Amino acid sequence: MRNCLELDSVEFSYEKRGAALHAVSLQLAEGEFRCLIGRSGCGKTTLLKLAAGLLKPQRGQVLFQGTAVARPRPEMGFVFQSPTLLPWLHVLDNVLLPLCLHGEVTPTDRDHARRLLRQMGLQGLDEQSPTALSGGQQSRVAIARALVTNPGLLLMDEPFAALDAITRAELQQDLLSLCQSQSTSVLFVTHDIDEAVYLADQVQVLEHGRIVHQMNVNLPRQRQAALRDTPAFNAHRAELRQAMEAGR
Amino acid sequence: MRRDRWLSAFIGLALMAAWEAGVRLWHTSALVLPAPSVVAQSLWQGLASGYLLPHAWRTIQEVVLGLLLGAGLGFAGGLVLGESSRLRAMFMPYVVISQVVPKLALAPLFIVWFGFGTLPTVVMTALICFFPLLENTATAMQQVDHQRLELFRMLRASRWQTLWRLKVRASLPGILAGFRVAVVLAWVGAVVAEFIGASQGLGALIIAAQGSMDTPLMFAVLTLITLLGLASYKLANMLEQRLLRSQQDF
Repeated sequence: MRNCLELDSVEFSYEKRGAALHAVSLQLAEGEFRCLIGRSGCGKTTLLKLAAGLLKPQRGQVLFQGTAVARPRPEMGFVFQSPTLLPWLHVLDNVLLPLCLHGEVTPTDRDHARRLLRQMGLQGLDEQSPTALSGGQQSRVAIARALVTNPGLLLMDEPFAALDAITRAELQQDLLSLCQSQSTSVLFVTHDIDEAVYLADQVQVLEHGRIVHQMNVNLPRQRQAALRDTPAFNAHRAELRQAMEAGR
Repeated sequence: MRRDRWLSAFIGLALMAAWEAGVRLWHTSALVLPAPSVVAQSLWQGLASGYLLPHAWRTIQEVVLGLLLGAGLGFAGGLVLGESSRLRAMFMPYVVISQVVPKLALAPLFIVWFGFGTLPTVVMTALICFFPLLENTATAMQQVDHQRLELFRMLRASRWQTLWRLKVRASLPGILAGFRVAVVLAWVGAVVAEFIGASQGLGALIIAAQGSMDTPLMFAVLTLITLLGLASYKLANMLEQRLLRSQQDF
């Protein structure tokens, strides 16, 4: 399978905080769901921003579909830690923002945005202000906004970290079905071991700016909530926990 | 809330009643401190005879022109300084110097430069209104949520789009708070400038009333300025509420 995203010996240091990533290499296949897991400050968000073209590596290179990434590209979607919705726009206009910054929004675009909102369980909320929505609903709008351009690659930075366990599980399920239906590749950053095992085809553990462990998730592709209580799921979870503790 | 408003009105009325009673009790001369009833009578006479109206109209014109000029330039300057930290570092000391110089001391200079009449008053008003808009706009723009800025970078928005569709919109509460302050200060600027170099306007009328020892008229004009200032503040508040109606931050 062709690589959608490739990081080749990427290094990055912040002026004040020092080195954040040391020669990190990563290949993400098309349609793959990859999770990056690690403790706070291990370089996860930096890696995601490098992949997005929001930061430039000081060494190594980032390739998207074989081309060097110098700046953010239209084929990429990004979901931040907080929903970052614009409170002065309605829900539908928030979803359409990536399109309306680059030309007229057509009726087809509107239909597409409404369909995404419906798929995210937000039907009937098009004209609502984002401030009237719950935290979970706001996260759903942010995901719909990232998917409205049909990106080939979705980069997600702990988007569900602030949500309660039930809402998080619902959103994980909806995200999986949406990405599978659109064949979107996903690079998902989290510090939650359960979330990583449930969502990913492959999980990589990042520690002090280095990838210290890699694990293929050998679970059925169609994930169901009951999967979380199976011995296979627990075995994956235990392996990840051990890898994270060993990397301390 | 409603009860607090009634209480506030009651406090005002009680103070007026105490003032009226004090003046009557101690037979204070109207030259020193006229009773509220005397001030009200003077105000009514001035309004009914039409004597106050041309002066009030002149001051209103100066306030509006000075406010538009000062707030407009302050907003534009705030955008520039908010966009560029280098320009902010270079120009902010001079902006602060222009504001710490006592405005009253500048008024005679303005008369030399701009002559008598409306122009020096408008310039003085504009100078006073300039700073709150500049400072609030520049500060609010630098406080825009960095994740939203990154979102706009990720969406490949142009600098112009980021400025108008994100920074200015997100800074609106701060900008409008600066405008509210400028509206109040505009009256101070116009009246102070009229003290020095105007033959018409409410400030000039206070000086004329002082010259003729007509203290009730001075109080009547002060009351009128206060009422006009309150009305313009209320208008600014309504504009703010209208513009921010859909913009409650998370």
